[in-house]
Amino acid sequence: MIHGRRPQLSPVAQLGAASLRLVGDSGAMFLFLLEASARIFSSFGQFAKIVRQLYFIGVKSVSVITLIGLFTGMVIGLQMHYALAKFGAEGFLGAAVALSLVRELGPVLTAIMITGRAGSSMTAEIGVMRISEQVDALRVMDINPVGYLVSPKLAASILCFPILTAFFDLVGMAGGYLTGVLLLGGNHGVYFYRIQAYMKMSDVTGGFIKSLVFGVVVCTVCCFMGFYTHLRRDAVGPEAVSQATTAGVVTSCVLILLSDYVLTSLLF
Amino acid sequence: MAQDKTPDILLEGLTVGYGKTAVVSDIDVTMPGGKISVILGGSGCGKSTLLKHILMLQPPLAGRIMIGSHDLALLDRRGKHCLRQRMGVLFQDGALLGSLTLGDNVALPLREHTRLDEKTIRKRVLAKLALVGLDEFSDYYPNELSGGMRKRAGLARGMVMDPPLLFCDEPTSGLDPVTAAELDQLLLELKKSFEMTMVVVSHDLDSMRAIADHVVVLGDGKVLYNGDREGLEATKDEYLRRFLDRQAAERTSPRLTMPALDFKAMKRDCSKYLGEG
Repeated sequence: MIHGRRPQLSPVAQLGAASLRLVGDSGAMFLFLLEASARIFSSFGQFAKIVRQLYFIGVKSVSVITLIGLFTGMVIGLQMHYALAKFGAEGFLGAAVALSLVRELGPVLTAIMITGRAGSSMTAEIGVMRISEQVDALRVMDINPVGYLVSPKLAASILCFPILTAFFDLVGMAGGYLTGVLLLGGNHGVYFYRIQAYMKMSDVTGGFIKSLVFGVVVCTVCCFMGFYTHLRRDAVGPEAVSQATTAGVVTSCVLILLSDYVLTSLLF
Repeated sequence: MAQDKTPDILLEGLTVGYGKTAVVSDIDVTMPGGKISVILGGSGCGKSTLLKHILMLQPPLAGRIMIGSHDLALLDRRGKHCLRQRMGVLFQDGALLGSLTLGDNVALPLREHTRLDEKTIRKRVLAKLALVGLDEFSDYYPNELSGGMRKRAGLARGMVMDPPLLFCDEPTSGLDPVTAAELDQLLLELKKSFEMTMVVVSHDLDSMRAIADHVVVLGDGKVLYNGDREGLEATKDEYLRRFLDRQAAERTSPRLTMPALDFKAMKRDCSKYLGEG
């Protein structure tokens, strides 16, 4: 993933080398996360940086989350209505929409949207700083670059992801109401009653935990890719930033879905 | 840690490189305190690599680096933190943080490492920017400035903690001759006013002649010259003479072996539009 150029190897040796790199990079990423976490409260100045990141990651994502949440809810409402109608169970539309969103689609789609919007930006920003020696400049000024650049983003991600997920869920339920009730003639009272009757605290908690984990994953992966842009073996300079950004987004999305499966098995 | 006002920099048996690959080996050089040492050499010879090792950005492959009385390899974490706070660095393109204004960039070390209040920090920042002629640009962002202005701002940031050690990586690269001469003049004034030990990495011979007290020339993976400027100018070494006199190496075979590209090979016939025969 992020290593210098290497000589040609046989396919088996390449597989072995790739496996070793995967394990090594996973360990490096975990240590990177530990360091970033430890430095969140390293100085009073971090608070101002965290607030700035809250605005960038959270506030500026609200419009895209609203849009995606609304259309996701509307599509689920539409699809679920016709599916439930086959069983004469249209009355359960509210519960179906709400549970789908809160347990699964809300955390996953929110995380993927923020990865595309803010995650790619984190990778590109730190990657450009790396290749233009700004990260080295921080080090020689005796300012820890992980603490300065990554920790505020990590703290903001931990705060923003659950809030944006909750917002996505609410907007999605409104979207489901729009199609299921207003457009397709479902019962208004039954829609909300079923949500209340079938939604449990464990569903909300599970979704919350997922969004937290996704926030940590996205921030760690995207910042890690940007931080080590200069060690990429597939490109140098601006092209390396571009490759790192792509790798950050793709890896984040894969890990979101992978961890989603693991968390779903454990939580539900 | 003892206060060395103008520390020497001693490189002893030093080998620098990346990973297991050595770039320059067996460096035995003393850069005298209170003077300007210029590290010269061709492109890719390892000048910036050597500088990164002195700045503790990379560990050496062999040998040791002493700054004043401190062996970098034996310094503990706190010692390294303290030493870094006594170093100022000007990177090749300034390396200013793009999201901060000039004033905030220069103030950054003060905000992170001192207990000074904002008013005092602001005064110091404007004083350092005035030193480099940029006091009216403190609210500008780096992308709003020219390359020369960014370098000067980088120098102001490197100077803001009044360090006894200043390192400059190719300070005049990409600058026009007048601006380059002004930067050289500024470095000389800083040395005189602040009694600093300066290390300048450069391949600019005019700059070297203007500012160097001590010169180190790198090439072929080793130190080719280590001494004063006058000794370098008087050298009879063939490579060094060619380097100083800007003479290309003699070739036994011609470089250009193919005829010029025939315009008839072009996909678009531009002769109709440009009136060429």
